[in-house]
Amino acid sequence: MEKIEIPQEENKILEGQRKVMYVTDESGHFERQKYGSSAEEFATQVAVEEFEQLCKESLERIKNNESSPIEFFMYKNRMDLPTLCSVVGMFAFRVKRHLKMKHFKKLNDKILQRYCEAFDIRLQELKEFKA
Amino acid sequence: MSRTFEHSQFAHCESGVISTLLTSYGLKISEPMAFGITSSLSFVYLPVVKISNMPLIAYRNLPKNIIRNISKVLGITMVKKHYKNPLEANADLTKFVEENQLVGLQTSVFYLPYFPKDMRFHFNAHNLLVVGKEGSDYTISDPVFEDLVTCDEKELTKARFARGIFAPKGFLYYPQHIPENIDLGKVIKKAIIKNAKTLLTPFPYAGVKGMRTLAKKIAKLKLDNNERYVKNFLTHIVRMQEEIGTGGGGFRFLYAAFLQEAKGYGLDESKLQEASELFVKSGNALREFALLCVESSKKTQKFSPQAISEKLIEASMFEEKACKILKTL
Repeated sequence: MEKIEIPQEENKILEGQRKVMYVTDESGHFERQKYGSSAEEFATQVAVEEFEQLCKESLERIKNNESSPIEFFMYKNRMDLPTLCSVVGMFAFRVKRHLKMKHFKKLNDKILQRYCEAFDIRLQELKEFKA
Repeated sequence: MSRTFEHSQFAHCESGVISTLLTSYGLKISEPMAFGITSSLSFVYLPVVKISNMPLIAYRNLPKNIIRNISKVLGITMVKKHYKNPLEANADLTKFVEENQLVGLQTSVFYLPYFPKDMRFHFNAHNLLVVGKEGSDYTISDPVFEDLVTCDEKELTKARFARGIFAPKGFLYYPQHIPENIDLGKVIKKAIIKNAKTLLTPFPYAGVKGMRTLAKKIAKLKLDNNERYVKNFLTHIVRMQEEIGTGGGGFRFLYAAFLQEAKGYGLDESKLQEASELFVKSGNALREFALLCVESSKKTQKFSPQAISEKLIEASMFEEKACKILKTL
């Protein structure tokens, strides 16, 4: 039987937890064993950092009056456009408009409230957001 | 169900939950068995479906496939409930817990507070079991975790009603009736042949062909001015395989374990052994493939799309061979 290499590296993302996978013992039987993978750690980190980067870029655009705070909170909550649309229950073309500062300024509280619920923040926080 | 519930950790959430659930309702079934008889091994690469701007890549069948198919192949009556009203969903769940009835739930990882912060992404098809309730805290047996965990009522409800792709809509399930005298040998044979056929599909974005299509796409990757995308793309493949999937070629090892277990049921043992070994080889190749992806995205000098692509094709060769053997079972 071909051997299965189990990585036993550190994975900080899991905060001390370890996951299991199936490996073969000497007699070729399968059993579950704990493992840690640094490849997995790195991949997750890149995804987390990508969202942080998107947040940062969004803040820049908010400063330039291009993007709205909704865009920032979307990335902060690790959402993409389809996810946000589904959470607030609006069509993509509408949400896309709301991501722009000039349209955001005209939004009423009722619409803004829907975004606040999606991001779990108070209305004030969204309205008075300063980049 | 007895009062004493023993938590165990599994390689994959859905097959783990089904294995514990059926075992506690009286049908002893292992995780690899649950995964195998539902023909869950797969590969899908769908560039048109985007998740956070990345193509959909999956190393097993769609979420909920195991729950859906296990009742079909074994003739089990499953109660499957969706809810519109979160309050009603919660009241129902509390009732089940008080009656000491084990139930499975579909949730979103993002809203589960016991998950490490950096693991919390909007992945809506995470399965877990609820085993108890104290005050407003549910005791949860989450197959990914080493021990039992707790989660507040409010947060669990939020996780059950997350929206987006694969939205759970409060999905709750448990077996109602399990038939006696199940002829597992027959079920296993049928499931293996079905799985082998789906992996050999001529559709270029699934199965063995899907792996080659993805390999071709990787081989064409170019770094110039595109570093951020390349890095995200390569690590996305790894994440789908490792984090959402399970340890390197985890699903391949899981399937190999199933083929090994299938030996006791009067099927051609030498074929099962050969195929099992091929899937282990494919799993190992996939792990090396993941390591190459990570290496390439860590250092641009080491960027070698050709090598990554060849590794994936190597894995697909093993799987093609294994499936061709299994088809003749």
